Amino acid sequence: MTALLEIEDLKVTFNTRYGQVTALDGVSLHVNAGETLGVVGESGCGKSITALATMGLIPMPPGRIAGGSIRLSGEELVGANPSRLRALRGADIAMIFQEPMTSLNPVFTVGDQIAEAIMLHQKVSPDQAFKDAVALLDRVGIPSPDARARDYPHQLSGGMRQRVMIAMAVSCRPKVLIADEPTTALDVTVQAQIFDLLNEIQRDFGAAIILITHDMGAISEMADRVAVMYAGRVIEEAGADDVLDHPQHPYSRGLIDCIPALGREDHALKEIPGVVPPLHLLGDGCAFADRCEHANDRCRREKPLLAAHGHHPAACHGVEEGRI
Amino acid sequence: MSSSYLLRRVGYGLLLMLGVVVLNFLLIRLAPGDPAVVIAGEMGGATEEMLESIREEYGLNKPVLVQLWIYVAGVAQGNLGESFFFNQPVAKLIADRIGPTILLVVTAQLMSIALGVFLGVLAARKPNGVMSAFVSVFATIGYAVPVFWTGIMLIILFASSFPIFPVEGMQSVKLRDAAWYVQTADVLHHLILPAFTLAIIYLAQYARLSRASMLEVLGSDYIRTARAKGAPEKSVLFKHALRNAALPILTVAGLQFGNLISGALLVETVFNWPGMGRLAFDSILRRDYPTIMGVLFFASAMVVVANILTDISYRWADPRLRGKS
Ligand SMILES: Nc1ncnc2c1ncn2[C@@H]1O[C@H](COP(=O)(O)OP(=O)(O)OP(=O)(O)O)[C@@H](O)[C@H]1O
Ligand SMILES: [Mg+2]
Repeated sequence: MTALLEIEDLKVTFNTRYGQVTALDGVSLHVNAGETLGVVGESGCGKSITALATMGLIPMPPGRIAGGSIRLSGEELVGANPSRLRALRGADIAMIFQEPMTSLNPVFTVGDQIAEAIMLHQKVSPDQAFKDAVALLDRVGIPSPDARARDYPHQLSGGMRQRVMIAMAVSCRPKVLIADEPTTALDVTVQAQIFDLLNEIQRDFGAAIILITHDMGAISEMADRVAVMYAGRVIEEAGADDVLDHPQHPYSRGLIDCIPALGREDHALKEIPGVVPPLHLLGDGCAFADRCEHANDRCRREKPLLAAHGHHPAACHGVEEGRI
Repeated sequence: MSSSYLLRRVGYGLLLMLGVVVLNFLLIRLAPGDPAVVIAGEMGGATEEMLESIREEYGLNKPVLVQLWIYVAGVAQGNLGESFFFNQPVAKLIADRIGPTILLVVTAQLMSIALGVFLGVLAARKPNGVMSAFVSVFATIGYAVPVFWTGIMLIILFASSFPIFPVEGMQSVKLRDAAWYVQTADVLHHLILPAFTLAIIYLAQYARLSRASMLEVLGSDYIRTARAKGAPEKSVLFKHALRNAALPILTVAGLQFGNLISGALLVETVFNWPGMGRLAFDSILRRDYPTIMGVLFFASAMVVVANILTDISYRWADPRLRGKS
């Protein structure tokens, strides 16, 4: 059976002042109907670019999809004509962004903004669309939705704005909902509420969710499967429990060690030493080699491919050689 | 919009007008020589009785503060004095001419904003495209070329080479008795060249400004959201982006309105447009002080009204400003 959304060997490049850099280097992902795929990785590893490419929203120029394929229910989206992509965006694939504070248009009421999304894809009257918008606001847990629908974004808190974004995203019952770090900008209690809401939405609407996050805790609660990304590649992919309990790649292990465990003795937060190398400085070897305590000459020379050597697929020479 | 805010704005406007009246008053008192002679317009022909009646009317033999009071009270009742050149009350002179000036200035303002913003938006869509380059060059030229030169060039062009637009006056004599809609069309026909001449400087500025403003707005997150909804490009540009890019444009439009009125003075003279600018020009040459003061007063009033309208449109454009003062 083919997956609902299939991304295969996706390659995205950007023209920068350092010349052309490869932001995504052969990313393959898939998500099935009703499933939640977690995508994790540090800042700059290409999570948002993967999401934007799927939405057909990579800014071109400077960006370019240099290769690969994105298929939604078997339909190819790479190179599809713009009006077809517009018809799919917001209707079949929707996205919630990282920045709730700035992602809503400041000069229109939130009700109008949701109603607009509805009217772009459904033949309904403006009045009906606005009523639907109010109902959606109610659905995402906004109190007095009738009044809030007439508010402007600046009158709402960050958590409320993110709920508005979710209401907008699910307004046309998308098959795939991409949530790009939906809670990064929000405080902890609100984070939990938003995740609960996403779970409910998935139950009610049956959407596949791609949840992009830094937060391994969120992954363990939300995701069925996990893809770990590093420097524009997927370096490990498996069921959420498999990755959390038996991380293969040293980078995944590092990420999991960073989860602050409740009641753990040492309260100091762990971190992976070093930083993600900038794209224009990526060499031939494994992008993680410089930060990896297990790296050897082969790691610095030759890029590891994603393959099942140990418990589940990981892109690591050390795992392949049984050293790790 | 709160009505108390509007009231306060109108209050400020009236206060400003009072300031203008006081300045007008000082202008005459500070001019060298006998104010009565100054007011009579140094026509040379002013008789002693005339001067006496001026002294009487303006209360020139009374203390200065009383004089000021008499003057302000007079203006408040619509008495702007008498032009001794035209032998008519200044208020009437202006009332006869303010219509054409408002028509010219408002048309030029709307024309420059509409065309300028449209060019700017097109340019912003492709920041490295041909349109963008055209807007930059056009803006520089439009800004550098004096308005009377543009006017004269247009007159030369349309008077001889392409006589499709009238280059003089506001109405054709032979249509004076035609039906109202023929007359209206005739006035609009006459309006095109002077309005365009006046608009062109500002048009170029608005084009450049809206290009910059749009480019900034198009990079924002909510534009990406609009695209993510599946909004067509036209709606992204003209609905989602332009409403946000409008704020700096409105600010400049409000500030430029005063300049537009002084520009109208030149344009009216070049095109023989029967407005207040023409009157101001003539009265300056004749040192017809009461008329100059009247024109100043009405020009200021127009600027004050324009500023209030700018403020209101500002609040319309940006809901974040509503409910604040
Ligand atoms: N417009 C652009 N021009 C050049 N490079 C870009 C552009 N947009 C993104 N990139 C590069 O692509 C890489 C991936 O960026 P992306 O936004 O996908 O990271 P991310 O994983 O979402 O990070 P974060 O967790 O901070 O959101 C980054 O290295 C970034 O520098
Ligand atoms: Mg991101």
